[in-house]
Amino acid sequence: MSRDEKGFAEFFQGSWDPCLKAVIASTGDVTQAEEQVAEAFARAWASWRKLRRHPAPRAWVVRTALNAGASRWRRRARELPLADHDREAPDGARTGLDGALLRALRRLPPRQREVIVLRVFLDLDIETTARQLEITPGTVRAHLSRAVTTLRNELAQANIMETDPCTTTIR
Amino acid sequence: MYDNDQMTDSPELRELRDALSGIGMPGRPPLQTIKSRGQAHRRQQRARATRFSVGGVVVAGAMAVGVSLAVTPAQKLGAIQRAAYTLHHNLNGTDTLTLNPVELLDPSQLQSDLARYGISAKVATGSYCTTTPEPTGFSQAVTLPGPGSSGRVGSGDQPTITINPSQIPSGTELSVGYFQLTSGPAAGEQQANMSLIKTNSSSCTTTPPDMSQPDTSNQDFGLIYGGARDRGHSARLSSRSH
Repeated sequence: MSRDEKGFAEFFQGSWDPCLKAVIASTGDVTQAEEQVAEAFARAWASWRKLRRHPAPRAWVVRTALNAGASRWRRRARELPLADHDREAPDGARTGLDGALLRALRRLPPRQREVIVLRVFLDLDIETTARQLEITPGTVRAHLSRAVTTLRNELAQANIMETDPCTTTIR
Repeated sequence: MYDNDQMTDSPELRELRDALSGIGMPGRPPLQTIKSRGQAHRRQQRARATRFSVGGVVVAGAMAVGVSLAVTPAQKLGAIQRAAYTLHHNLNGTDTLTLNPVELLDPSQLQSDLARYGISAKVATGSYCTTTPEPTGFSQAVTLPGPGSSGRVGSGDQPTITINPSQIPSGTELSVGYFQLTSGPAAGEQQANMSLIKTNSSSCTTTPPDMSQPDTSNQDFGLIYGGARDRGHSARLSSRSH
Protein backbone atom coordinates (compact mmCIF):
# COMPACT_ATOMS: atom_id res chain seq x y z
CA MET A 1 0.00 0.00 0.00
CA SER A 2 1.46 3.37 -0.99
CA ARG A 3 1.85 6.26 1.41
CA ASP A 4 -1.05 8.05 -0.28
CA GLU A 5 -3.30 5.03 0.04
CA LYS A 6 -2.38 4.54 3.67
CA GLY A 7 -2.90 8.20 4.48
CA PHE A 8 -6.27 8.28 2.78
CA ALA A 9 -7.39 5.04 4.44
CA GLU A 10 -6.58 6.52 7.86
CA PHE A 11 -8.32 9.75 7.03
CA PHE A 12 -11.39 7.93 5.73
CA GLN A 13 -11.65 5.65 8.73
CA GLY A 14 -11.19 8.45 11.24
CA SER A 15 -13.32 11.06 9.52
CA TRP A 16 -16.32 9.22 8.10
CA ASP A 17 -18.44 9.37 11.26
CA PRO A 18 -17.80 13.02 12.21
CA CYS A 19 -18.32 14.18 8.63
CA LEU A 20 -21.50 12.15 8.23
CA LYS A 21 -22.87 13.47 11.53
CA ALA A 22 -22.18 17.03 10.47
CA VAL A 23 -23.98 16.55 7.16
CA ILE A 24 -26.89 14.72 8.79
CA ALA A 25 -27.28 17.65 11.17
CA SER A 26 -27.46 20.00 8.23
CA THR A 27 -29.68 17.95 5.92
CA GLY A 28 -31.72 15.90 8.38
CA ASP A 29 -31.75 12.89 6.06
CA VAL A 30 -29.44 9.99 6.86
CA THR A 31 -29.68 8.29 3.46
CA GLN A 32 -29.13 11.47 1.52
CA ALA A 33 -26.28 12.51 3.81
CA GLU A 34 -24.63 9.11 3.45
CA GLU A 35 -24.65 9.39 -0.34
CA GLN A 36 -23.38 12.99 -0.28
CA VAL A 37 -20.55 12.14 2.12
CA ALA A 38 -19.58 9.06 0.08
CA GLU A 39 -19.43 11.26 -3.00
CA ALA A 40 -17.34 13.84 -1.14
CA PHE A 41 -14.86 11.19 0.03
CA ALA A 42 -14.63 9.87 -3.54
CA ARG A 43 -13.74 13.37 -4.71
CA ALA A 44 -11.31 13.64 -1.80
CA TRP A 45 -9.53 10.52 -3.07
CA ALA A 46 -9.51 11.93 -6.60
CA SER A 47 -7.74 15.05 -5.27
CA TRP A 48 -5.89 13.44 -2.38
CA ARG A 49 -2.44 14.64 -3.40
CA LYS A 50 -3.59 18.21 -2.90
CA LEU A 51 -6.05 17.55 -0.12
CA ARG A 52 -3.61 15.71 2.15
CA ARG A 53 -1.88 19.06 2.69
CA HIS A 54 -5.17 20.84 3.42
CA PRO A 55 -5.30 22.38 6.91
CA ALA A 56 -8.81 21.00 7.56
CA PRO A 57 -9.59 18.12 5.20
CA ARG A 58 -12.73 17.16 7.14
CA ALA A 59 -14.13 20.61 6.56
CA TRP A 60 -13.37 20.20 2.87
CA VAL A 61 -15.28 16.91 2.80
CA VAL A 62 -18.27 18.37 4.65
CA ARG A 63 -18.46 21.43 2.44
CA THR A 64 -18.11 19.29 -0.68
CA ALA A 65 -20.87 17.01 0.59
CA LEU A 66 -23.17 19.93 1.32
CA ASN A 67 -22.42 21.48 -2.07
CA ALA A 68 -23.15 18.13 -3.74
CA GLY A 69 -26.48 18.13 -1.95
CA ALA A 70 -27.24 21.67 -3.06
CA SER A 71 -26.41 20.74 -6.66
CA ARG A 72 -28.69 17.72 -6.42
CA TRP A 73 -31.57 19.82 -5.18
CA ARG A 74 -30.97 22.47 -7.80
CA ARG A 75 -30.95 19.76 -10.44
CA ARG A 76 -34.16 18.30 -9.09
CA ALA A 77 -35.68 21.74 -9.14
CA ARG A 78 -34.81 22.11 -12.81
CA GLU A 79 -36.00 18.66 -13.75
CA LEU A 80 -39.19 18.68 -11.71
CA PRO A 81 -40.34 22.29 -11.75
CA LEU A 82 -43.86 21.49 -10.60
CA ALA A 83 -43.21 18.49 -8.40
CA ASP A 84 -41.94 18.37 -4.83
CA HIS A 85 -41.63 22.14 -4.71
CA ASP A 86 -43.20 22.36 -1.29
CA ARG A 87 -41.91 19.07 -0.01
CA GLU A 88 -40.79 19.32 3.61
CA ALA A 89 -37.25 18.21 4.27
CA PRO A 90 -37.27 14.92 6.15
CA ASP A 91 -37.72 15.34 9.88
CA GLY A 92 -35.54 14.01 12.60
CA ALA A 93 -37.54 10.86 13.27
CA ARG A 94 -35.06 8.70 11.37
CA THR A 95 -31.99 10.51 12.61
CA GLY A 96 -32.65 10.41 16.32
CA LEU A 97 -32.14 14.15 16.44
CA ASP A 98 -34.50 16.31 18.38
CA GLY A 99 -37.13 17.46 15.89
CA ALA A 100 -37.50 21.08 17.03
CA LEU A 101 -33.77 21.57 17.28
CA LEU A 102 -33.17 20.05 13.87
CA ARG A 103 -35.88 22.15 12.24
CA ALA A 104 -34.47 25.24 13.87
CA LEU A 105 -30.99 24.40 12.65
CA ARG A 106 -32.22 23.87 9.11
CA ARG A 107 -34.07 27.16 9.15
CA LEU A 108 -30.88 29.08 9.88
CA PRO A 109 -29.42 31.04 6.97
CA PRO A 110 -26.89 28.85 5.08
CA ARG A 111 -23.84 30.74 6.30
CA GLN A 112 -24.88 30.50 9.95
CA ARG A 113 -25.56 26.80 9.50
CA GLU A 114 -22.14 26.29 7.92
CA VAL A 115 -20.50 28.03 10.85
CA ILE A 116 -22.36 25.78 13.28
CA VAL A 117 -21.40 22.67 11.34
CA LEU A 118 -17.71 23.52 11.16
CA ARG A 119 -17.32 25.13 14.55
CA VAL A 120 -19.54 22.87 16.61
CA PHE A 121 -19.70 19.52 14.86
CA LEU A 122 -16.18 19.40 13.41
CA ASP A 123 -14.76 21.33 16.35
CA LEU A 124 -12.70 23.68 14.21
CA ASP A 125 -11.37 26.78 15.93
CA ILE A 126 -12.56 30.23 14.94
CA GLU A 127 -9.55 31.01 12.75
CA THR A 128 -9.73 27.74 10.81
CA THR A 129 -13.49 28.09 10.38
CA ALA A 130 -12.94 31.60 9.06
CA ARG A 131 -10.32 30.41 6.59
CA GLN A 132 -12.57 27.61 5.34
CA LEU A 133 -15.45 29.95 4.74
CA GLU A 134 -13.19 32.76 3.49
CA ILE A 135 -14.59 35.23 5.98
CA THR A 136 -13.02 37.02 8.92
CA PRO A 137 -12.90 35.57 12.44
CA GLY A 138 -15.12 38.46 13.57
CA THR A 139 -17.75 37.46 11.02
CA VAL A 140 -17.59 33.86 12.24
CA ARG A 141 -18.25 35.07 15.79
CA ALA A 142 -21.13 37.22 14.59
CA HIS A 143 -22.74 34.34 12.67
CA LEU A 144 -22.31 32.04 15.64
CA SER A 145 -23.83 34.56 18.00
CA ARG A 146 -26.83 35.15 15.74
CA ALA A 147 -27.29 31.42 15.22
CA VAL A 148 -27.29 30.75 18.96
CA THR A 149 -29.80 33.55 19.53
CA THR A 150 -32.07 32.20 16.79
CA LEU A 151 -31.85 28.65 18.07
CA ARG A 152 -32.63 29.83 21.59
CA ASN A 153 -35.68 31.78 20.44
CA GLU A 154 -36.93 28.96 18.23
CA LEU A 155 -36.55 26.44 21.01
CA ALA A 156 -38.30 28.74 23.50
CA GLN A 157 -41.13 29.18 21.02
CA ALA A 158 -41.34 25.41 20.46
CA ASN A 159 -41.47 24.86 24.21
CA ILE A 160 -44.27 27.39 24.61
CA MET A 161 -46.28 25.68 21.89
CA GLU A 162 -45.69 22.30 23.47
CA THR A 163 -46.92 23.39 26.87
CA ASP A 164 -49.75 25.62 25.65
CA PRO A 165 -50.57 25.13 21.99
CA CYS A 166 -53.20 27.94 22.10
CA THR A 167 -50.79 30.66 23.12
CA THR A 168 -49.77 31.59 19.63
CA THR A 169 -53.18 31.21 18.02
CA ILE A 170 -55.20 33.45 20.39
CA ARG A 171 -53.20 36.53 19.67
CA MET B 1 -22.06 39.43 22.33
CA TYR B 2 -20.73 36.18 23.78
CA ASP B 3 -17.10 35.36 23.58
CA ASN B 4 -16.16 32.30 21.65
CA ASP B 5 -16.10 29.72 24.47
CA GLN B 6 -19.40 30.87 25.85
CA MET B 7 -21.01 30.63 22.45
CA THR B 8 -19.86 27.12 21.64
CA ASP B 9 -20.71 26.05 25.16
CA SER B 10 -24.21 27.49 25.08
CA PRO B 11 -27.01 25.09 26.15
CA GLU B 12 -28.47 25.07 22.64
CA LEU B 13 -25.23 24.00 20.99
CA ARG B 14 -24.51 21.52 23.77
CA GLU B 15 -27.93 20.05 23.12
CA LEU B 16 -27.19 19.85 19.41
CA ARG B 17 -23.87 18.13 20.09
CA ASP B 18 -25.45 15.69 22.53
CA ALA B 19 -28.30 14.90 20.18
CA LEU B 20 -25.86 14.21 17.41
CA SER B 21 -23.76 11.89 19.51
CA GLY B 22 -26.78 9.62 19.94
CA ILE B 23 -27.52 9.18 16.24
CA GLY B 24 -27.63 5.61 14.99
CA MET B 25 -24.92 5.77 12.35
CA PRO B 26 -25.04 3.65 9.23
CA GLY B 27 -21.93 1.58 8.59
CA ARG B 28 -19.00 2.99 6.68
CA PRO B 29 -18.95 1.92 3.02
CA PRO B 30 -15.97 -0.17 1.90
CA LEU B 31 -12.90 1.96 1.28
CA GLN B 32 -12.42 0.30 -2.10
CA THR B 33 -15.86 1.48 -3.21
CA ILE B 34 -14.98 5.07 -2.37
CA LYS B 35 -11.64 4.78 -4.13
CA SER B 36 -13.26 3.31 -7.24
CA ARG B 37 -15.63 6.25 -7.39
CA GLY B 38 -12.69 8.59 -6.84
CA GLN B 39 -10.77 6.96 -9.68
CA ALA B 40 -13.78 7.48 -11.94
CA HIS B 41 -13.67 11.17 -10.97
CA ARG B 42 -9.99 11.33 -11.83
CA ARG B 43 -10.66 9.86 -15.25
CA GLN B 44 -13.45 12.35 -15.79
CA GLN B 45 -11.13 15.19 -14.76
CA ARG B 46 -8.49 13.99 -17.20
CA ALA B 47 -11.05 13.51 -19.95
CA ARG B 48 -12.45 16.98 -19.28
CA ALA B 49 -8.97 18.46 -19.48
CA THR B 50 -8.41 16.68 -22.76
CA ARG B 51 -11.76 17.81 -24.09
CA PHE B 52 -10.98 21.40 -23.17
CA SER B 53 -7.66 21.25 -24.94
CA VAL B 54 -9.23 20.03 -28.15
CA GLY B 55 -12.67 21.44 -27.44
CA GLY B 56 -12.64 24.12 -30.10
CA VAL B 57 -11.79 21.67 -32.83
CA VAL B 58 -14.35 19.13 -31.66
CA VAL B 59 -17.16 21.65 -31.32
CA ALA B 60 -16.42 23.11 -34.71
CA GLY B 61 -16.35 19.62 -36.22
CA ALA B 62 -19.55 18.62 -34.49
CA MET B 63 -21.30 21.74 -35.68
CA ALA B 64 -20.13 21.08 -39.20
CA VAL B 65 -21.62 17.59 -39.27
CA GLY B 66 -24.57 18.38 -37.02
CA VAL B 67 -23.57 16.04 -34.21
CA SER B 68 -25.15 16.71 -30.85
CA LEU B 69 -22.72 16.88 -27.96
CA ALA B 70 -25.42 17.12 -25.33
CA VAL B 71 -25.40 14.57 -22.56
CA THR B 72 -28.65 12.89 -21.66
CA PRO B 73 -30.30 13.51 -18.29
CA ALA B 74 -29.51 9.91 -17.38
CA GLN B 75 -25.81 10.67 -17.69
CA LYS B 76 -26.11 13.55 -15.26
CA LEU B 77 -27.85 11.31 -12.78
CA GLY B 78 -25.16 8.66 -12.75
CA ALA B 79 -26.46 6.35 -15.48
CA ILE B 80 -25.11 6.18 -19.00
CA GLN B 81 -27.75 5.35 -21.54
CA ARG B 82 -26.70 4.20 -24.98
CA ALA B 83 -28.81 2.57 -27.66
CA ALA B 84 -27.07 -0.78 -27.15
CA TYR B 85 -26.78 -0.72 -23.36
CA THR B 86 -27.36 1.11 -20.13
CA LEU B 87 -24.70 1.39 -17.46
CA HIS B 88 -26.02 2.26 -14.06
CA HIS B 89 -24.07 2.96 -10.88
CA ASN B 90 -25.66 1.44 -7.76
CA LEU B 91 -25.42 2.85 -4.27
CA ASN B 92 -23.72 -0.29 -2.99
CA GLY B 93 -20.77 0.41 -5.27
CA THR B 94 -21.62 -2.08 -7.99
CA ASP B 95 -22.46 -1.20 -11.58
CA THR B 96 -25.16 -2.77 -13.69
CA LEU B 97 -24.73 -3.24 -17.41
CA THR B 98 -27.97 -3.97 -19.24
CA LEU B 99 -27.66 -4.98 -22.86
CA ASN B 100 -30.25 -4.14 -25.46
CA PRO B 101 -30.38 -7.22 -27.67
CA VAL B 102 -31.71 -5.42 -30.72
CA GLU B 103 -28.92 -2.89 -31.00
CA LEU B 104 -25.32 -3.40 -32.02
CA LEU B 105 -22.72 -2.51 -29.46
CA ASP B 106 -19.85 -0.08 -29.96
CA PRO B 107 -16.96 -1.69 -28.03
CA SER B 108 -14.79 1.42 -27.79
CA GLN B 109 -17.71 3.37 -26.37
CA LEU B 110 -18.42 0.64 -23.82
CA GLN B 111 -14.75 0.56 -22.79
CA SER B 112 -14.77 4.31 -22.34
CA ASP B 113 -18.04 4.24 -20.37
CA LEU B 114 -16.79 1.45 -18.11
CA ALA B 115 -13.65 3.51 -17.45
CA ARG B 116 -15.81 6.46 -16.42
CA TYR B 117 -17.25 4.21 -13.73
CA GLY B 118 -13.83 3.12 -12.55
CA ILE B 119 -13.91 -0.25 -14.29
CA SER B 120 -10.72 -1.01 -16.13
CA ALA B 121 -11.60 -3.14 -19.14
CA LYS B 122 -10.33 -4.12 -22.55
CA VAL B 123 -13.29 -4.30 -24.91
CA ALA B 124 -12.58 -5.45 -28.46
CA THR B 125 -14.57 -6.26 -31.57
CA GLY B 126 -13.78 -9.55 -33.24
CA SER B 127 -11.19 -10.42 -30.66
CA TYR B 128 -11.18 -11.91 -27.18
CA CYS B 129 -8.21 -11.79 -24.84
CA THR B 130 -7.52 -14.21 -22.02
CA THR B 131 -4.77 -14.94 -19.56
CA THR B 132 -3.71 -18.52 -18.83
CA PRO B 133 -4.14 -19.51 -16.10
CA GLU B 134 -7.11 -17.22 -15.58
CA PRO B 135 -6.77 -14.91 -12.57
CA THR B 136 -9.11 -15.85 -9.73
CA GLY B 137 -11.92 -13.62 -8.51
CA PHE B 138 -14.05 -13.38 -11.63
CA SER B 139 -17.19 -14.76 -10.01
CA GLN B 140 -16.90 -12.16 -7.22
CA ALA B 141 -16.33 -9.32 -9.64
CA VAL B 142 -18.99 -10.17 -12.22
CA THR B 143 -22.39 -11.74 -11.72
CA LEU B 144 -25.16 -12.62 -14.10
CA PRO B 145 -28.56 -12.53 -12.43
CA GLY B 146 -30.06 -14.50 -15.30
CA PRO B 147 -30.60 -18.23 -15.51
CA GLY B 148 -28.04 -20.71 -14.24
CA SER B 149 -25.40 -22.43 -16.31
CA SER B 150 -27.31 -22.07 -19.54
CA GLY B 151 -30.73 -21.10 -20.75
CA ARG B 152 -32.81 -18.80 -22.87
CA VAL B 153 -33.86 -15.32 -22.07
CA GLY B 154 -37.51 -14.70 -22.79
CA SER B 155 -38.58 -12.63 -25.73
CA GLY B 156 -37.63 -9.01 -25.26
CA ASP B 157 -35.58 -9.66 -22.11
CA GLN B 158 -32.38 -7.74 -21.69
CA PRO B 159 -29.32 -9.52 -20.29
CA THR B 160 -28.09 -7.79 -17.16
CA ILE B 161 -24.54 -8.05 -15.83
CA THR B 162 -23.51 -6.74 -12.44
CA ILE B 163 -19.92 -5.66 -12.00
CA ASN B 164 -18.32 -4.98 -8.65
CA PRO B 165 -15.21 -2.85 -9.33
CA SER B 166 -13.95 -3.29 -5.78
CA GLN B 167 -13.71 -7.04 -6.37
CA ILE B 168 -11.54 -6.79 -9.45
CA PRO B 169 -8.10 -7.85 -8.16
CA SER B 170 -5.31 -5.36 -8.58
CA GLY B 171 -3.14 -6.00 -11.60
CA THR B 172 -6.10 -7.38 -13.52
CA GLU B 173 -8.82 -5.95 -15.73
CA LEU B 174 -11.92 -7.20 -17.45
CA SER B 175 -11.62 -8.55 -20.93
CA VAL B 176 -14.72 -8.26 -23.08
CA GLY B 177 -14.70 -9.85 -26.51
CA TYR B 178 -17.52 -8.87 -28.81
CA PHE B 179 -18.43 -10.70 -31.99
CA GLN B 180 -21.12 -10.28 -34.61
CA LEU B 181 -21.64 -13.90 -35.61
CA THR B 182 -21.78 -14.54 -39.33
CA SER B 183 -21.95 -18.33 -39.46
CA GLY B 184 -23.24 -21.29 -37.50
CA PRO B 185 -26.59 -21.70 -35.80
CA ALA B 186 -26.34 -18.28 -34.15
CA ALA B 187 -25.46 -16.41 -37.35
CA GLY B 188 -26.65 -12.82 -37.21
CA GLU B 189 -26.58 -12.70 -33.43
CA GLN B 190 -24.12 -11.02 -31.09
CA GLN B 191 -21.75 -12.82 -28.78
CA ALA B 192 -20.00 -11.28 -25.81
CA ASN B 193 -17.44 -13.06 -23.66
CA MET B 194 -16.01 -11.76 -20.45
CA SER B 195 -13.17 -12.82 -18.17
CA LEU B 196 -10.44 -11.37 -16.00
CA ILE B 197 -6.99 -10.91 -17.52
CA LYS B 198 -3.68 -9.76 -16.15
CA THR B 199 -3.17 -6.18 -17.25
CA ASN B 200 0.20 -6.83 -18.86
CA SER B 201 -0.14 -10.43 -19.88
CA SER B 202 -2.83 -11.77 -22.17
CA SER B 203 -3.21 -13.43 -25.53
CA CYS B 204 -6.03 -12.73 -27.94
CA THR B 205 -7.96 -14.80 -30.44
CA THR B 206 -10.16 -13.72 -33.31
CA THR B 207 -12.24 -16.90 -33.10
CA PRO B 208 -15.35 -16.58 -30.93
CA PRO B 209 -15.17 -19.06 -28.01
CA ASP B 210 -17.31 -22.12 -28.55
CA MET B 211 -20.49 -21.53 -26.63
CA SER B 212 -21.83 -25.03 -27.08
CA GLN B 213 -19.37 -26.34 -24.51
CA PRO B 214 -20.44 -25.54 -20.96
CA ASP B 215 -17.67 -24.15 -18.80
CA THR B 216 -17.83 -24.79 -15.08
CA SER B 217 -14.67 -22.95 -14.09
CA ASN B 218 -16.58 -19.85 -12.96
CA GLN B 219 -13.74 -17.82 -14.45
CA ASP B 220 -15.55 -16.41 -17.46
CA PHE B 221 -18.85 -16.34 -19.25
CA GLY B 222 -20.19 -16.01 -22.72
CA LEU B 223 -23.39 -14.50 -23.90
CA ILE B 224 -25.20 -14.89 -27.20
CA TYR B 225 -27.95 -12.40 -27.54
CA GLY B 226 -30.31 -11.02 -30.15
CA GLY B 227 -28.97 -9.89 -33.44
CA ALA B 228 -29.80 -6.96 -35.61
CA ARG B 229 -32.99 -5.00 -35.13
CA ASP B 230 -34.81 -6.80 -37.97
CA ARG B 231 -34.07 -10.27 -36.58
CA GLY B 232 -36.70 -9.89 -33.93
CA HIS B 233 -36.14 -10.41 -30.26
CA SER B 234 -34.49 -13.75 -29.92
CA ALA B 235 -32.29 -12.88 -26.98
CA ARG B 236 -30.54 -16.09 -26.12
CA LEU B 237 -28.33 -16.34 -23.11
CA SER B 238 -25.76 -19.08 -22.98
CA SER B 239 -23.87 -18.50 -19.84
CA ARG B 240 -20.73 -20.51 -19.36
CA SER B 241 -20.46 -19.77 -15.70
CA HIS B 242 -22.47 -18.68 -12.77
